[in-house]
Amino acid sequence: MATILVADDSETILLLMRTRLEMAGHAVATAADGQEVLDQIANGTVPDLLLLDAMMPRKSGIDALRELRDAGSEIPALIVSAHQNPGDADAPTDLAIDGYITKPIDFDRLLETVAELTA
Amino acid sequence: MAVIGVGRFIQQRQDFEDSIARSYQVEMVARERIARGTSGEKARAVVVQQAQRRDELRDEISGDTRDTALLVAAGLLAGLTGALLLFSGLISSLRRPLEQLVDAAGRLAAGDRSARVEVGGLSETATLGNAFNEMAEELEQEEARRAELDRLKDEFVLTASHELRSPLTSVQGFAELLMLERESLTPRQAETVEVILDNCRHLVRLLNDLLDLARSDAGRLSIQPQPTEVAPLVEDVVRTMRAQTEASGQALSEAVDPGLPPIEVEPDRIRQILVNLITNAHEYSPEGASIGVSARTIGAEVEITVSDNGPGIPEEQLERIFERFTRGDAGLTQRVGGTGLGLAISKSLAEAHGGSIGAESTVGQGSTFRLRLPVATAPGPAADGAASQGQATAEAG
Repeated sequence: MATILVADDSETILLLMRTRLEMAGHAVATAADGQEVLDQIANGTVPDLLLLDAMMPRKSGIDALRELRDAGSEIPALIVSAHQNPGDADAPTDLAIDGYITKPIDFDRLLETVAELTA
Repeated sequence: MAVIGVGRFIQQRQDFEDSIARSYQVEMVARERIARGTSGEKARAVVVQQAQRRDELRDEISGDTRDTALLVAAGLLAGLTGALLLFSGLISSLRRPLEQLVDAAGRLAAGDRSARVEVGGLSETATLGNAFNEMAEELEQEEARRAELDRLKDEFVLTASHELRSPLTSVQGFAELLMLERESLTPRQAETVEVILDNCRHLVRLLNDLLDLARSDAGRLSIQPQPTEVAPLVEDVVRTMRAQTEASGQALSEAVDPGLPPIEVEPDRIRQILVNLITNAHEYSPEGASIGVSARTIGAEVEITVSDNGPGIPEEQLERIFERFTRGDAGLTQRVGGTGLGLAISKSLAEAHGGSIGAESTVGQGSTFRLRLPVATAPGPAADGAASQGQATAEAG
């Protein structure tokens, strides 16, 4: 069982993600934006995987991940994007990202990827 | 000068005529005297003298006539030269502005909307120059407005597609959640959830299509071609589509020529085109129809055809079938689940690969769609079905 920190500015999507991930046997922590992700990690949450929405108010998933990587964090991270192609998501090529998930989310594939990254 | 010369010549001619007339009068008087015998030697001398006098006068006038003719000729020559000089001055003062206009019009037509001419010279060419510059100015502004509109449109489509995805994710995700507990749903509830999911998938398809079109309009339809084997690609698509065609009792067959050279394509994009063509054949053809997919080499291209023996497409519709939001027979719209964008996108995709797509049809007999794609120049690593599957996954991720 892995702990996954999910960040999305939509409560509905957070609920959906939490439900599906918990059904698959994972522990889930949620954050409403990138700043909350940083705060939770600073306060001692140790996730096995980050599932970050690319675009969120206050601080995007990409910006939060950049700060984490700059601070030396190597937590695997998946970026969830409403864009079809990573190229459209303004995703930086210099940032260590373990995969992209597009909306609408294909949960079968997401769960497979999560299982691989947390194995 | 010539005019003065001619005036003087007329005056001299008048004087000459008078002198000649007077001379004849004098001679006549002398001859009368001789006839009457009143004067002898003296009158005869007068007659001779007057004849000489007239000869002299004639010599004089003929010299003057020659001089005058010369003078007139010289005057005419001078006038003509002057006119020529004036004319060539006029020509050269027209030529430069005209050359500039031709040059600027050429540049304007070639797309350089900043092309302008110097305004100057004759008032006529200045007016022309001004008119040209005004027109160029309007064209430039029009172009800028259109570019801005295009940019806004692209941005709108991107944003709309992006914003619609989040709620769609929720609807689809929760419907799927319900389906995970299918056994606790009544059959009617399960069917209801299926309808929700079907429509979610349709919406996603529409959003993806719109995005593809916006990208191809903006020239951002990115293609990453790689040498790809045709047979595994076609087989893979046919395998995926078979469930749908079999559900309608349609026969889906494939015939790929053995030994086809690899094609230079992005496998996932070609898969998208083929799925679209087979889906159309499936949706527009009645139950029990036959759909065939085949591939063969034609010159430096591989042609993949998708044929059906469905109702066919009338000629006037066939011409417009690759335009967006155009669909065969509107009466079928209810049953056919497409977005009306599939063929427009297929065309953009084929062209982005340096290929082409075309259709032929006979009403009552069926339709054939031909997709032509360039053969890979350097035989690279064989991208088999499994590899292109991997590509698809990476793309979707």
